[in-house]
Amino acid sequence: MKKIIGLDCIILVDDDKITNFIHKRVIKRADIDVTIKVNYTGFEALNYLKKMSELPIDKYPRPGIIFLDINMPGMNGWDFIDEYKKLPSIQKEKIVIAMLTTSMNPDDENTANTTPEINIFLRKPLTIEKLERTIDANFPIL
Amino acid sequence: MSTTDTLYRHNELTFQVMVDASPNALILVNEAGKIAYANAYAEKLFQYNRAEIIGQKIEILMPARFERYHPGFVRSFFQTPQFRRMGEGRELFALKKDKTEFPVEIGLNPIVTINGNMVLASIIDITERKKAEQRFRLVVESAPSAMVLVNKKGIISLVNTQTEKLFGYRREELLGQKIEILIPSEIRSQHPKYRKEFSKNPETRAMGAGRDLFAVTRDGKKFPVEIGLNPIETFEGKMVLASVIDITERKRNEEVSKKYTKRLENKNKELEQFTYITSHDLQEPLKSITGLAEILTEDYKDQLDEEGQNSLAFLHESTERMKELISSLLHYSRLGQKSTVEEVDCNELIEVIKKDLTSSISETNTRFEITALPTVSGYKTELRLLFQNLISNAIKFRKKDNVSVIKISAKKQQQAWLFAVKDNGIGIDMKFTDKIFTIFQQLNPKEEYPGTGIGLSHCKKIVELHDGDIWVEAEPDKGSTFYFTINSKTPLL
Repeated sequence: MKKIIGLDCIILVDDDKITNFIHKRVIKRADIDVTIKVNYTGFEALNYLKKMSELPIDKYPRPGIIFLDINMPGMNGWDFIDEYKKLPSIQKEKIVIAMLTTSMNPDDENTANTTPEINIFLRKPLTIEKLERTIDANFPIL
Repeated sequence: MSTTDTLYRHNELTFQVMVDASPNALILVNEAGKIAYANAYAEKLFQYNRAEIIGQKIEILMPARFERYHPGFVRSFFQTPQFRRMGEGRELFALKKDKTEFPVEIGLNPIVTINGNMVLASIIDITERKKAEQRFRLVVESAPSAMVLVNKKGIISLVNTQTEKLFGYRREELLGQKIEILIPSEIRSQHPKYRKEFSKNPETRAMGAGRDLFAVTRDGKKFPVEIGLNPIETFEGKMVLASVIDITERKRNEEVSKKYTKRLENKNKELEQFTYITSHDLQEPLKSITGLAEILTEDYKDQLDEEGQNSLAFLHESTERMKELISSLLHYSRLGQKSTVEEVDCNELIEVIKKDLTSSISETNTRFEITALPTVSGYKTELRLLFQNLISNAIKFRKKDNVSVIKISAKKQQQAWLFAVKDNGIGIDMKFTDKIFTIFQQLNPKEEYPGTGIGLSHCKKIVELHDGDIWVEAEPDKGSTFYFTINSKTPLL
């Protein structure tokens, strides 16, 4: 099992449990030593980011990557980004946000590319190849 | 005195009495241009005593500007004495004793008397007529559209400023011209025929019913017009007053809106087809997947580990969900189709829905408070679905820790009925209220509140079919009130 420096935890933000089930499995099969957290809503993910600094690091590791769905009930991916922007920078340091969506709407990709908070735009489903591409682009290999 | 003389005298007297009693001003003028006689009405009109004017030059009764030429006219009349109107085509004025001028019309009759050749002038005061004409001109002038007055011969006798603007002619360029000057050359030759037909059977009507009418400007620019024709009686005989409206803009708008309507119709058809075909074609492979998943479950489930079994369960769940989404998409696109408008008693409708939802109402202990609801004209099945969706939502999004109460009421507005469905459930954050009416949009996690997210978009489409609006006022944790309007008149479509 590989250990990637700076990548202790991956958060999956998606309201769909089956998608989360599949993505979790993909990450596991990539043979990376990482904690996977599943958040069903953007609120949950935001709360995690706000609380993690106050809570024990072994249970609440700092995420290296957040895979973010766009189409979610209530707070969607874009709403999450708006809230995320408001967080103090200490809470988002070294976090890579990967937008992961089924959206075929080219507007979404354009907006993602011009939003500095979003590091990479990917289409579902997450595959080992897409995961490795995200890691290679954002985490230097020692 | 001889008998003939007596008879002659008698005749002359009779003539004098008749002339005197005439309701027209009559003045007899001799070859020397002097007044030989004036009747009682002439005295009254000119305010002279006849003794004052008999023997005077006739020019005493005219404004000074006519004095110079009039004696010449008198001479030429006596050279070829015959009945005619005086000063044809010119405006005539007479002068009273107090030197006030007034417009007149004068008929001239040659008469042979024992005192020589005379001319009998019959004078009509046309002051009132001129005033009426002036009023008419003012009315025509102030009309918002171009007005053209045409006489029986098709000659333009009056136009207003709007006509000058519309056709680019100055007034004096049009007066006295044939009306055909304003008609495009290719249809010009037909027009006198139409004109004659109109004068045979004159009535107020639109010109050229069913035909596209065109007019032409001074620069030769053709433009579409609408023309109203009004026959009118004037002192100069029967005339036609035509009001001309430039409909270039209207035609253009009609064309544009026709084009858009057509495009919209095509898009709608396309969309309908698209929804139908995609939904239908999507069902095929979906059915295969469902079937294959069943095979795996039935025959191989025992050979799978926990993750494998979970995958299989999820596979089922996903296919079920997709089936639901497709059918609600189809249902959505079919809303309002093949429905007919009928009178729908909303009270009855709610009773039926309550019966349908009996089990979920009693399970959740939901209470209803319903005020008297109106009967509206609309699509019954769709209206039922509308209420059913709102009521089901109110039950579904109830707060678990209190008795849920659903209040339904209606208020008459000017054009519509305003309905309100109010609950005391979990409420909605107002910043998401735009989203909730969008197809497949959900605010709450599916795990907690299952559904396809199409219910409220159904509601929106149904309300729009009834020419209404739907919106929500809500507060998280306090409850939501859905408002919608149903047009009290027959809905669109």
